[in-house]
Amino acid sequence: MADILSPACVAPPVAPAKSPALDGEAVLRDSLRRCSPATIDAALAYRRTGDTTHLAPIILGIFERFVEPDLRPRLQAPDSDDLRVIEDLGLDSLTMMEIVMLVEEVTQTRIENEELRGLVTIGDIKTFVDCRARGVQPPAPARMISGDEVRAIMPIQAPFLFLNDARVGPAQATASYRITGQEFFLAGHFKDNPVMPASIMLEALGQLGVLHLLAGLPVEEGKVVGTSTIFFASTDGVRCSRVCKPGDVLMLTLKPKRVKAPLAVYMGNIRVGQEKAVVAEEITLTFGLVDAPAPVVAEPAAASVAEAPASAS
Amino acid sequence: MPRVFITGLGFITSIGNTADAVEQSLRELRHGMARHPGLEAENIPVKVTAPVRDFQTDSEDPEDWVIPAPYAIKREQLRSLSPSALYAMCGLQQAIADAKLSPEEVSNEDTGLYAASAGSPAIMTRMVNRMHQQGVMRCPPLGIVASIAGTVQFNLVAYFKIKGASTGFTSACAASAHALGFAFDEIKLGRQKRMFVVGAEDGNIETILPFAAMRALSLNTDPAMASRPFDKKHDGFVGTGGATVLVLESEEEVMRRGATPYAEVLGWGQASDGHNVAISHPEGAGLALAMRHAFKATGITAADVDYINAHATSTPIGDASECKALRAVLGEHASRVAVSSTKALTGHGLSLAGAMEAGFCALALKRGFIPGSAHITELDPACDGLNIVRTTESVQPRVVLNNSSGFGGANVCVVFKAVSGAR
Repeated sequence: MADILSPACVAPPVAPAKSPALDGEAVLRDSLRRCSPATIDAALAYRRTGDTTHLAPIILGIFERFVEPDLRPRLQAPDSDDLRVIEDLGLDSLTMMEIVMLVEEVTQTRIENEELRGLVTIGDIKTFVDCRARGVQPPAPARMISGDEVRAIMPIQAPFLFLNDARVGPAQATASYRITGQEFFLAGHFKDNPVMPASIMLEALGQLGVLHLLAGLPVEEGKVVGTSTIFFASTDGVRCSRVCKPGDVLMLTLKPKRVKAPLAVYMGNIRVGQEKAVVAEEITLTFGLVDAPAPVVAEPAAASVAEAPASAS
Repeated sequence: MPRVFITGLGFITSIGNTADAVEQSLRELRHGMARHPGLEAENIPVKVTAPVRDFQTDSEDPEDWVIPAPYAIKREQLRSLSPSALYAMCGLQQAIADAKLSPEEVSNEDTGLYAASAGSPAIMTRMVNRMHQQGVMRCPPLGIVASIAGTVQFNLVAYFKIKGASTGFTSACAASAHALGFAFDEIKLGRQKRMFVVGAEDGNIETILPFAAMRALSLNTDPAMASRPFDKKHDGFVGTGGATVLVLESEEEVMRRGATPYAEVLGWGQASDGHNVAISHPEGAGLALAMRHAFKATGITAADVDYINAHATSTPIGDASECKALRAVLGEHASRVAVSSTKALTGHGLSLAGAMEAGFCALALKRGFIPGSAHITELDPACDGLNIVRTTESVQPRVVLNNSSGFGGANVCVVFKAVSGAR
């Protein structure tokens, strides 16, 4: 009885392949038939050689196949690693599943549901698959930080906090800020013409750096970055290319170049939708390390931290 | 109690993909049958089906499907569609345009959608095979949504942002007639102001051929004569697919919008044979009771009826039992009331049949004709005493019935009335 119900009995037996390699190639070509020839070549080369440099073009090629045609050029831009799959490429979570299945099949890796949740950008996925292929532990996923948490963590508060919610990992921090029009300085900048000051946009990037130092950075054992030790030090290579007004949602991205106490050097940019608004080649913060609080104290802190914004603002 | 009107139609069928094309086929008795590619093998005795026109949906990959203009479906929508849901999506688009409904009139809490389809055996089979052969995690993520019996309403309700009542009906060949009946009730009970009624079927080999083993399909290899309800040589039905969508609206909505209805839905009746899982009651008991219930619900009598669009699928047992039901219910009017089966032209649409034929009745009432029963060379003696009309007549019917019967002995009769020229 068990035999009758077993899947082997239900499914027609797979015909033995004449040549496993050729058969594998045919299956691979079929799976990738809607991808560019370059993607198929990269996949075949990866299967042959195991050379992980092929992984990036494979992943990009698979994304290209699923993205709406008008967004495809964005994948070729130099900063395509920063593209967020859902927000920037307009793919829903089910399309993401299709992409993951195809990436898994082609690269012969496996991405668990838990792991998938931490992968937000194309860069995240590339790094993850690359680590898997090389047998290295993928980096810890970036942490989503809600607006309430941001306010609980940050020493900077309203009306001078310009981060709504954020996603912070060791290698990158991103955040959004919606210009409400109620910001106090917009009353005068400019008269009857509210425009987000460029200096404030740099301030926002600096604030994201603060959040990265406080929430995203693994520091030495027993130490944490002191909340009151962080200050803006310098900035360089700043270019502003778009006027930002109330209603715009600023998308901030910050990447650490060097972080070693007492200096943290970042490069950052701000986009609004698909348009670049600000680029800063260097933003430098100073910070200091202090002793981590004893674990006993940390426990009950959870409740009071959640209430902090109310009393702080 | 609000009156209910049909204000829009959408057709994706074997005899035309617009109301005008369908009307022309019905008037000229042009059938939609063809030799079906893929049925050449000697061990497949069935050769003829009635394919959906201009679409090509046999490919395993929906991105390879051929979808005729003016319809265009994005990839992210395609992946959750069965062929039936695709046809239904196009049919609903057509019906919305026909009824001149704005997006706000389609998507609001007073507008619902009832659908009928048997799901997609083809997509289900491929998915289950893939699951066994390549592993559970290698199946298309939306394979379930595309294949189970609710696929038509899942897709349509989400795509058209329907916010009112929605569900599906699975009484096989009576299913979309049930959908129409209960949609009528939703409006009648004041729960909804507008309902979309959808019947749809894949109409591919996987939905049609399983009826071969039941000996329900015609083995006639001549497309022009395979489907011949009421003919002495009827030997089974010819399968078809596609979709039909009807827009039902309350009188208040019709007045408010200034819509021109096709017809009024007067009411409906249903009853079950309580006899056999797949064979019609030999006396047509359930169908006769359904018709009597429809009369009682609407207050009409046999004397009022001008035309009956019969369920008659071209199987000897089914056609004969319907004839007995018709004689029993029509009594002295049996020899007067025009009866035809449009399945001679379209083939049998299974879950689609009720809605499709209700659509034909609405067209007939609006445009003044009675569709003929095609392909009758010699009338089956079982039809004695009935007025089976063999050609389409350009006369204005006033009251029209549509019969549907499904597996399990489910029977539905819906009553329509012309809008102008009240009885």
